Amino acid sequence: MLDRFIKAYNEAVFETDKEAAFTAVNTALAEGIPPEDIVFKIVIPAVEEMMSNITKDPDANLAQHFMTAQIAAEVTEKMLEKFEHPPEIIGRVVIGTAHGDLHSLGKRIVMGCLKALMVEATDLGVNVPAEKFVDEAIARDAQVIAMSAMMVHTATGEDGACKVRQILKERGLEQRFKLIVGGAPYRYDTELYQAVGADSWAPDGVNAARAIINLIQQVKHRDSAQDI
Amino acid sequence: MTLLVVHSRLGKHRFEVAKGLSVREALDITALRVRAACGGTGACGACVIHLVGGEVSAPTVAEYMKLGSDERAAGARLACQVRLKGDTEIRLDRPAPPSPWKSIPLENLKPLTHGLPELRAHTLGVAIDLGTTQIRVSLLDRRSGRRIATRRGPNPQGVFGADILNRLEAARANPAHAAELAKLVRTAILRAVRDILARDIGEVKAMLAEIGQVFIVGNTAMLALLGGRGADTLLDPANWQGAIDCRPHDVTPWRAKGALPCAELVMPDPVAGFVGSDLVADLLATGLTEGPAGALLLDIGTNTEIALWDGATLHVTSVAGGPAFEGSGIRHGMAAEPGAIDSVCSVENHYRWRTIGGGAPQGFCGSGLVDAIALLLADGRLKPSGRFASPPGPDGYPLDPNHPNTAITGPDIDAFQRAKAATAAAMSQLLIQAGMTWRELRRLCVCGAFGRTLHLGHAQAIGLLPAVHPGLIELHAEAALAGCEQALLSPGGVQCFDALTAKTKTINLSLLPGYEDRYIEHLRLRPIALTPTTGQRP
Ligand code: FES
Repeated sequence: MLDRFIKAYNEAVFETDKEAAFTAVNTALAEGIPPEDIVFKIVIPAVEEMMSNITKDPDANLAQHFMTAQIAAEVTEKMLEKFEHPPEIIGRVVIGTAHGDLHSLGKRIVMGCLKALMVEATDLGVNVPAEKFVDEAIARDAQVIAMSAMMVHTATGEDGACKVRQILKERGLEQRFKLIVGGAPYRYDTELYQAVGADSWAPDGVNAARAIINLIQQVKHRDSAQDI
Repeated sequence: MTLLVVHSRLGKHRFEVAKGLSVREALDITALRVRAACGGTGACGACVIHLVGGEVSAPTVAEYMKLGSDERAAGARLACQVRLKGDTEIRLDRPAPPSPWKSIPLENLKPLTHGLPELRAHTLGVAIDLGTTQIRVSLLDRRSGRRIATRRGPNPQGVFGADILNRLEAARANPAHAAELAKLVRTAILRAVRDILARDIGEVKAMLAEIGQVFIVGNTAMLALLGGRGADTLLDPANWQGAIDCRPHDVTPWRAKGALPCAELVMPDPVAGFVGSDLVADLLATGLTEGPAGALLLDIGTNTEIALWDGATLHVTSVAGGPAFEGSGIRHGMAAEPGAIDSVCSVENHYRWRTIGGGAPQGFCGSGLVDAIALLLADGRLKPSGRFASPPGPDGYPLDPNHPNTAITGPDIDAFQRAKAATAAAMSQLLIQAGMTWRELRRLCVCGAFGRTLHLGHAQAIGLLPAVHPGLIELHAEAALAGCEQALLSPGGVQCFDALTAKTKTINLSLLPGYEDRYIEHLRLRPIALTPTTGQRP
């Protein structure tokens, strides 16, 4: 029975039809499928599918990524409200746009995917000073700091990623947080991320979600290694 | 419309032109201009062409005076005197040297209503709409309120990048580049003015000194680059909300010999970092604040600027993402110039395109792209997601298989979707800020890249414009230039701008959390819901 809903949901997502996606999950709910199954067996596989397809589907475009990530996030949010026990969070990330940069849309795709994959993503908004990234990461007990920058001068600027790295170093927090960057300048110069002191980078929103999860696991793995 | 065929050294050209135009008027808007050194009065005799055949007006007195009888017998005519009555074929042996400047089609210009009769000296004035891709220039006799001629041509700063940010970056990084960027535009403006003086008055040097005012409007970045400063200020969003002074500190290069020795340089302040004075010129030209509350104005361009008049306040904002509407970032995209497909219709499952000037299609301008996407969607070849029903491959889907330049690719659709979503979401957000809904709209003025050829039904079907009654939508061509001309001819001048700017309230969309949701909501190719069932109004 689940297959029928998986098919209907995947079709709706492929067509970026949010209304149809909600119809699919609501029918599933009405027919007794638990919200947990909807998230773990329908929504998450669809997001993972999208993540593995991104390099394979030349016809998929940015507009579609925005819409599919949004559908995943909204459906997950609705289903989480109905969960009997809150699900285990994989990890936490604070995400925002570098100081001086108001281009916020890039991080929407990242947030949408992360939400659906049970990563708690806190949106710090646009034009975020370096200190705030670090302070918020501490306050939220995050593992990863994600910064987007769409312009060369905000990607390389002195209040951008370099500054976050410097603060982490000064406060001895480099073991605790990983720093990832994304945005057009890093695509043009694929070594730029290292120059600004980041641990990783991603060429697009969907890959960024995957890279962030990798970093979360690295941090957690080290934590548990240290516990022993 | 009638057909004008021109034989020249460069080959055979076909133009579709309005009946009643002179050959010179018809060719002035193209790259194939006749020579000229007078305002088309028959005084200079430079515009000789040869009539091969066709339906034209009889020779005028001027032609009898300027052309010998043997010349006339050989078919010689003055291009400014011959009016087209039907399909016509001519030979142009000595075209004017190539120039990037062309006249703006007359039908796109607003009539001027009055002059400044009390003006005594330096009565000429120049209105300039300084765009990111195009510069538009109009030379007026301010005393009589007569337009002498207009020009439009490319903004030469394009060599530093099509994108505004690239140019600002270049100016910020290197003062020499900043100076170079300012000089490029200044020189271009002067060249356009000289081109008008040479061709439409017949005297350059003396007339340059007759120009008493240059009135420039544009988006904030263009003004800052022209002023040679402010790129730094502009790249920091902290400064975006307030007014930015862009006026050049040093006007000597403008006043230099061979430039405009007697001209006062007037540049009204832009509204804010992301809303230029071109929007204010649009407001002036459309009289937006003089009409009913619920009037929206959209100036579509590389940076789309939007204003909403609620009866007391002008809510203004701008969104990036407009280049697609101007043809940039689209595989076969181009500005609304001769050769651009500006409209497409569907006849018996075939797509029929029309190009500006009637020649072979070179690509799509904004209005042609809207038609193409709306028709592909209506025919099921394109889905609301923006995907093709069957992927056409990297070369795209050709509307006309005989012309590869009529192809639309997947990435074109993507760029277009994002541009239209940003536009629609911005309009919807302004309504929310003003506490209004789509249904309360009484006027929707569309200015900018689409000109007057936008098909409203198509724009509504794909969700670029709201599905309000078509009678509420007005298409304005060259509104910013018209507003600029209006200011040049009013005693108040720059005060008209300041009065409108004082009514504005700027909104920075990227700081409003709801805007992104709205943007994503508007990405699908479907009509805008005037009364959404869920979420926030409108
Ligand atoms: S005589 Fe035709 S332009 Fe001067």
